[in-house]
Amino acid sequence: MIPLLRAELIKLRTTRTFLALSGAAIATSLLTVVLTALLEEPTADQVLSDVFTSDTSTLFILVLAIVGISGEWRHRTITSSLLASPDRLRFLAAKAIAFAAAGLLLSLAVSLAISVVGYVILSSRDLPTPEMGELAGQVLRNAFLAALMGGFGVGLGAVVRNQPVAIVGVLLFSFVLEPLLGSLAGEVARFGPFTGLPLAIQGIPAEEFGFEEGTELLAAGVATIAMLAWIGAFFAAGYTLLRLRDVE
Amino acid sequence: MAAIEIRGVSKHFGSVQAVRDLSFEVEAGRVTGFLGPNGAGKSTTLRVLLGLVHANDGSATFDGRRYEELPHASSHVGAVLEEASFHPGRSGCNHLRVLATAGRHPEARVDEVLERVGLSGAANRRVKGYSMGMRQRLAIAAALLGDPDVLILDEPTNGLDPPGIRWMRELVRSEAASGRAVLVSSHLLAEVSQSVDDVVVIAHGSLRAHGPIASVLGSPDGPVTRVRSAEDDRLARLLREGGLEPASADGGGILVRADPAAVGQVAADGAVALVELVAQSRSLEEVFFELTGEEPD
Repeated sequence: MIPLLRAELIKLRTTRTFLALSGAAIATSLLTVVLTALLEEPTADQVLSDVFTSDTSTLFILVLAIVGISGEWRHRTITSSLLASPDRLRFLAAKAIAFAAAGLLLSLAVSLAISVVGYVILSSRDLPTPEMGELAGQVLRNAFLAALMGGFGVGLGAVVRNQPVAIVGVLLFSFVLEPLLGSLAGEVARFGPFTGLPLAIQGIPAEEFGFEEGTELLAAGVATIAMLAWIGAFFAAGYTLLRLRDVE
Repeated sequence: MAAIEIRGVSKHFGSVQAVRDLSFEVEAGRVTGFLGPNGAGKSTTLRVLLGLVHANDGSATFDGRRYEELPHASSHVGAVLEEASFHPGRSGCNHLRVLATAGRHPEARVDEVLERVGLSGAANRRVKGYSMGMRQRLAIAAALLGDPDVLILDEPTNGLDPPGIRWMRELVRSEAASGRAVLVSSHLLAEVSQSVDDVVVIAHGSLRAHGPIASVLGSPDGPVTRVRSAEDDRLARLLREGGLEPASADGGGILVRADPAAVGQVAADGAVALVELVAQSRSLEEVFFELTGEEPD
């Protein structure tokens, strides 16, 4: 398993896609934190969720994971991958773990960047800043969610093999359908894997994403279990399809 | 036990029967040409053998084990499949590093195989900048990474220039000479006929012929000898008296359904001086056409 994991990490590192999307994650996160820290005046209670949860790495690692697995079909590298690793379960598991690890590292890098920038701007404006312990907790929650999203993306991409369809679908669910469902039926949307559960794991109030007022998100632990169930379901479906498919 | 054993393999895609009850074996130390027209089922058979396509029936094994059951598959079998593909943004060297790592081969093998296929100078270039021939060489380098006992090459000369084709022919021969089993699929008969020991001919997914190339190229009704002498009429009479059936050959001389030794003995006994005595064999193209009912490319 370790060699396969190492091979997947080499795949990740040796294309420009990973660097480009990682750069985009850092840039968009920094832009958000700069604008928020400059334009808003958060209170001590709100500062953590208002300013330090703008880590966009969860979305980017989700897209990267989808690109990573669906790209195997798009570029037909699935053939050489399965010749090197005929056990399709181990192949898919190695890819999921690799993207989970990449999500974790990417989120930590992004969180570090936005923490430094957010602290500097808020301090210079004499606005409240979060305790270091609170901030560290937030960083870890963000990183944990990014790791989950890396694994989720691999399962999703294994089910929806068409790369553009998978990516557009994810963006549609993340920014339109789940928030829309949240505004209409928050009790249902809080189980959604793109918005409801991530908000609960990150500790962001549901109202900030347009959920109907009074929607209570799941507790972080329960949300994690629900997210793992989503990952397990997509991974199992993806593996079943991969096992049954002919690689022509 | 044969290095490769295909037993009763059948595969259909929907209503299309790609391979039908196909059986043959490939021995170690020999080059086996896997021949058939485009669409005959060669690539499907190879993909079944490599566990990429699921057969509807039959088995395909290496030393009795399916590809997925081999403990270190890429150390046992190296394969170049048609339409070998690579991530266009990854360098040739990194492509091989990925495969070497996944297959648990020493990283030093990457440089060795790049050197072997003549791609050392282009190792760090992105694959999208490679010519078709360079991509084919990279695919061959990937197949050689694990120093495998069995080599499977699907249309390996695609995209290669004449020196590349010669290089490929020499590679195939040297791999077999070192004891490896080599299975080469092709629809280019002239190419294959120069380098194979055995042939498997398929058409419409079914086996048409299998065996050493000499026996496949020989006449189906036994050996035929072409003989010429200064006294063809007297030789023909002696052959008839010896129980053989001489016939006039196109372009002069006599064709006899017998091996050259028997014909030569009759001529010697009758004190007829010969000017030509050759075993008559058909070309691979003729045999192919006869077996498959199609014109080769």
